[in-house]
Amino acid sequence: MVEFLTQQAQVFLDIFAYLIPALPTTVAITITAYLLAVTLGLLVSLARLSNRRLLRWPAKTYVDVLRGVPLLVQIFFIYFGLGKVLHLGRFSAGVLAVGICYSAYLSEIFRSGIGAIEKGQHEAALSLGMTRFQVLRQVILPQAARIIVPPAANEFIASLKDSSLVSIIGLRELTRAGREYYSQFFVDFQTWLAVGVLYLILTLGLSRIVAWLEKKYRVHGYGVAR
Amino acid sequence: MGSADVENIIDARDVVKSFGNVRALRGVSLTVKRGEVVVIVGPSGSGKSTMLRCLNALERIDEGSVTIDGIPLDADSRHIHRIRTEVGMVFQSFNLFPHLTARKNIMLAPRLVRKKGETEARDEADVLLKKVGLGDKTDVFPGQLSGGQKQRVAIARALAMQPKIMLFDEPTSALDPEMIGEVLAVMKDLAREGMTMVVVSHEMGFAREVADRMLFFDDGRLIEEGPTAQVLDHPRETRTREFFRKVLK
Repeated sequence: MVEFLTQQAQVFLDIFAYLIPALPTTVAITITAYLLAVTLGLLVSLARLSNRRLLRWPAKTYVDVLRGVPLLVQIFFIYFGLGKVLHLGRFSAGVLAVGICYSAYLSEIFRSGIGAIEKGQHEAALSLGMTRFQVLRQVILPQAARIIVPPAANEFIASLKDSSLVSIIGLRELTRAGREYYSQFFVDFQTWLAVGVLYLILTLGLSRIVAWLEKKYRVHGYGVAR
Repeated sequence: MGSADVENIIDARDVVKSFGNVRALRGVSLTVKRGEVVVIVGPSGSGKSTMLRCLNALERIDEGSVTIDGIPLDADSRHIHRIRTEVGMVFQSFNLFPHLTARKNIMLAPRLVRKKGETEARDEADVLLKKVGLGDKTDVFPGQLSGGQKQRVAIARALAMQPKIMLFDEPTSALDPEMIGEVLAVMKDLAREGMTMVVVSHEMGFAREVADRMLFFDDGRLIEEGPTAQVLDHPRETRTREFFRKVLK
């Protein structure tokens, strides 16, 4: 029995030693893709809230298309399709695919958050001579953050999990490292358990950060208890 | 432009404004002299609030012209911006920024638009809060203020831009009766200091006390105007008389 346990412990140590160097790549893909998604998502949400049909219509199409096509297919398209033309590396293609896909989901979250702020807030700020950008930055977004942050943070956690799909184009992140280990040593149960545990540690850690952010972005005088 | 020799600081001509099929303004002309206090009255839906909102381009006019302190309110965004910095507005629903303290509500526009320094803006905000009787509320968030207090902060916020004109859109309509007086008192002070004011309000007592002129709107038209006492006591038009009979009873 003791022999079995020490042997198993050795196997897990071995697996973790193999997997952990791939963790930074998973984290890097997720963070870069998410920053891209936030930037694009904000622009798309503003276009969707615009008075101009010429901005609104393409933005709606963008969201509809990206939400309607599986991320895996988008990754293939960007890496094998666009990537050929634009000479994209695995990392850039992976980040681009996850970032663009998540920008569609985030734009909907931003749109509902910004749209929930009373029109009077806009009008009061404009009547004081503030520019549209100042109104958005100083008046609308700080209030919308209360509504936006929790679901947007959930998308961050989801994008971390979805970054595993990028393993399919051969980028050596956590899931890819798991496949490599498995195909070398054929220990399936322990390998995928270890991969799962590492993802779980990352997502649970993030959930704690999300809870902290939600507290931080509470707005005074609103319904939430102080 | 923007010189003191323009006698009419507000000059609106034949203003037409529609919302879809609804014609809110059907050709309204009005002028306001520097330092004048004008009260606009009329039934709801008569276009009085729309008129006010056309004076700082919160609504774009369909036809006609609006000139504020010599600056034409046209499609030029620089004109719109300059006019908004010189025209303060107070809303029925206060529209304070709920994420900022009273002081920071007041400081925001002077900091961003007038590019004032932190200390200068803060000192001016504190002076304004004292002026509206809320010197002890500097660090309080709007959610913790009463309606009357909110509206007084909103007035201070508009004043912080040192506007040449103040527009009031039914400033006391959302207030409990016991809070109306404190807001009207601040407005009376302003009128006495010589501020040019256009006020949409049903407060006839306030109008009689401080307004130089009263305008009666109905159905998107300016029906009657004249010195306040004259319009109130001897209205010429039947519609004006009917309106006052309903309001004043």
